[in-house]
Amino acid sequence: MTTRDLPVRPTKKGGLAIRSPENVLGGLVLIALALFALWLTLDLPRGTLTTVGPAMLPQAIAVLIGVCGVVLLIAGFKRRSEHGAPVWSLRGPLLVSISIGLFAVTIKEHHFGNWQTIEFGLMFAGPMAIIIGGYASTEARFRDLLLLALTLTPFCMLLFGDMLNLPIPILPRFLSEALFSGMSYKSSLRVTAAVLFTAAILVFRFTKSRSGSRIEVAKHEVRN
Amino acid sequence: MFDLLSNLFLGFGVALTFNNLFLCLIGCLVGTLVGILPGVGPIATISMLLPITFGLDPVGALIMLAGIYYGAQYGGSTTAILVNIPGEATAVVTTLDGHQMARRGQAGIALGIAAIGSFLAGTVATIVIAALAKPLTGLALVFGPAEYFSLMVMGLVFAVVLAHGSIIKAIAMILVGILLSTVGVDLETGEDRMTLGLSFLFDGIDFAVLAMGVFGIAEILRNLDNVETRDVVRQTIGRLLPGWKEFKQAAAPITRGTLIGSVLGILPGNGAVLAPFASYSLEKKISNHPERFGKGAIEGVAGPESANNAGAQTSFIPLLTLGIPPNAVMALMVGAMTIHGIVPGPLVMTSNPTLFWGMIASMWLGNLMLLIINLPMIGLWVRLLKVPYQLLFPAILMFCCIGIFSINSEPVQVLMIAFFGIVGYAISKLGFEPAPLLLGFVLGRLMEENFRRALLMSRGDMMTFIENPISAVLLAISVLLLAVALLPSLRKNRDEVFTE
Repeated sequence: MTTRDLPVRPTKKGGLAIRSPENVLGGLVLIALALFALWLTLDLPRGTLTTVGPAMLPQAIAVLIGVCGVVLLIAGFKRRSEHGAPVWSLRGPLLVSISIGLFAVTIKEHHFGNWQTIEFGLMFAGPMAIIIGGYASTEARFRDLLLLALTLTPFCMLLFGDMLNLPIPILPRFLSEALFSGMSYKSSLRVTAAVLFTAAILVFRFTKSRSGSRIEVAKHEVRN
Repeated sequence: MFDLLSNLFLGFGVALTFNNLFLCLIGCLVGTLVGILPGVGPIATISMLLPITFGLDPVGALIMLAGIYYGAQYGGSTTAILVNIPGEATAVVTTLDGHQMARRGQAGIALGIAAIGSFLAGTVATIVIAALAKPLTGLALVFGPAEYFSLMVMGLVFAVVLAHGSIIKAIAMILVGILLSTVGVDLETGEDRMTLGLSFLFDGIDFAVLAMGVFGIAEILRNLDNVETRDVVRQTIGRLLPGWKEFKQAAAPITRGTLIGSVLGILPGNGAVLAPFASYSLEKKISNHPERFGKGAIEGVAGPESANNAGAQTSFIPLLTLGIPPNAVMALMVGAMTIHGIVPGPLVMTSNPTLFWGMIASMWLGNLMLLIINLPMIGLWVRLLKVPYQLLFPAILMFCCIGIFSINSEPVQVLMIAFFGIVGYAISKLGFEPAPLLLGFVLGRLMEENFRRALLMSRGDMMTFIENPISAVLLAISVLLLAVALLPSLRKNRDEVFTE
């Protein structure tokens, strides 16, 4: 796991030293947010008290946020907080957002500006999200994730598409047109789910887990 | 009195239909599940399941979502007792004595007394809700926009004062939430505000997207940072039902816990989290043998467990009667109600009596179910603790993606949960809490609406908020509370309550 400290580090002696990097950074973020909101609402009418305009409340709130930011910033220079510099990890946020992002661009045909995405449907978008997202944990193992993907995806198809009647693209369009041209949405969904479940059983049956035991039980540590 | 009975009768008529009973059971089961699993909380779960409720009728949907919330209070104690980590934030105190009891081979008794205490507290809380609903709704009906605005200000101040951690950070988060709520086309003038020209922001930030990002996704990211070790008690769970002696010992703490929980739950702020702390401190203070606490005192399990369940349930009161969510879970309930076209507030009781009383009646039925779910089936739940987190979170991830996509088949919203997930992760790294943000977001829209309406009615005179007696009192309470909370001496006291 990659971790890094923030560039701001507490310096030793008095004067204008950063005592709590967490609060200094928090304060700066709030001030930046306040300025951003003010800039965005700059050319909107503020209105009068009788007819409040669209910009009045956002601007008032932005000013208050800025004040909070300044207070936090000052506190960050004056008082030490119990936590040290925040430790960030990159692996989790990176892989999780990639996984969600891939899901978003593969689930359905969609125009992002000049870009157009191809519809792959849940059958591909789902397992991809699970497997890539799963590697956000350092303890991820491919076989477990594959099994999870092959069981959870058809489960979600049946739950959302069949039981709750929410239309979700199941297969890439060309594939569903080639395979299920005469079938209704629900029956093609059921067939796909059945195929995926079968695949899960086959994987479970014919591949060996490397660790020997099926699913390793979470670590137990007895402290006495 | 007769009114109350006939209303409850109506409620049970609704709640006892097969469909609603089934949904109540599902809610309780899911609630117990997420309560038991550390790292998955009711807030994340309810936001994940919001899209699913589209396909249900509103009464059933709300019954199920409510079941998740109070079900999680039961489940949280199981993990606290057996594994020594709170399954839920509200079960933190239970780890102190509950786990010690388990160590001494009294796990079953601890679990039993926690479930029975929760059930008794839930029963009382249900009655409290039913009894207070009518008068409070009557009160709310005389409220004008000025009173509403001030009431919401007071609610937010309460939320700030009762939140843990830095007060200034809690205020900042609420303000950011309000700011986010103003994004989108202004309803009165039709001008778009802060949308950056992005068409998907014209309707404002979707509530489910914000909630799922800041709670669902960000929670995954936070959990991935802390590798936990689970310290499952290996001894047998032992006798489940507490004996007469234990029951007599626990009776008074259960009563006191229920009382504390019911009162703190009604107040805005997170009563269900605060109440067990308050109950534990009280039990320790009035005990003849305070040294037994922390070493397996049954009072230290019975009191807080009753308190958190009572608090979880009475926190529905401000939502159902005044339409004001007192905590983040209730903010989600507002979201669920709006999805179904119900405007939470005093009118719900008269315009949707079946929904209102059905939900209240279902709470008692749910508590009864939970007693059964938790006691005889405990072995099954304990086995669930063995599901490792590295398999749990990809499932949550997938559920979030599909759930948010299914709301209106909009891939952009899926991308937004990733964005808010990162935002939620970043703000918690900087020591901010996401719950006030969500509360501010929900109340923000209502506040702006009422603020404008009040000024319109008074022809732009700000004095309307002070000249109006009820509004003035509410604002005075807010100012006083905030001032008191910021006083250094009292702040120390407040921190002690939380660190104990």
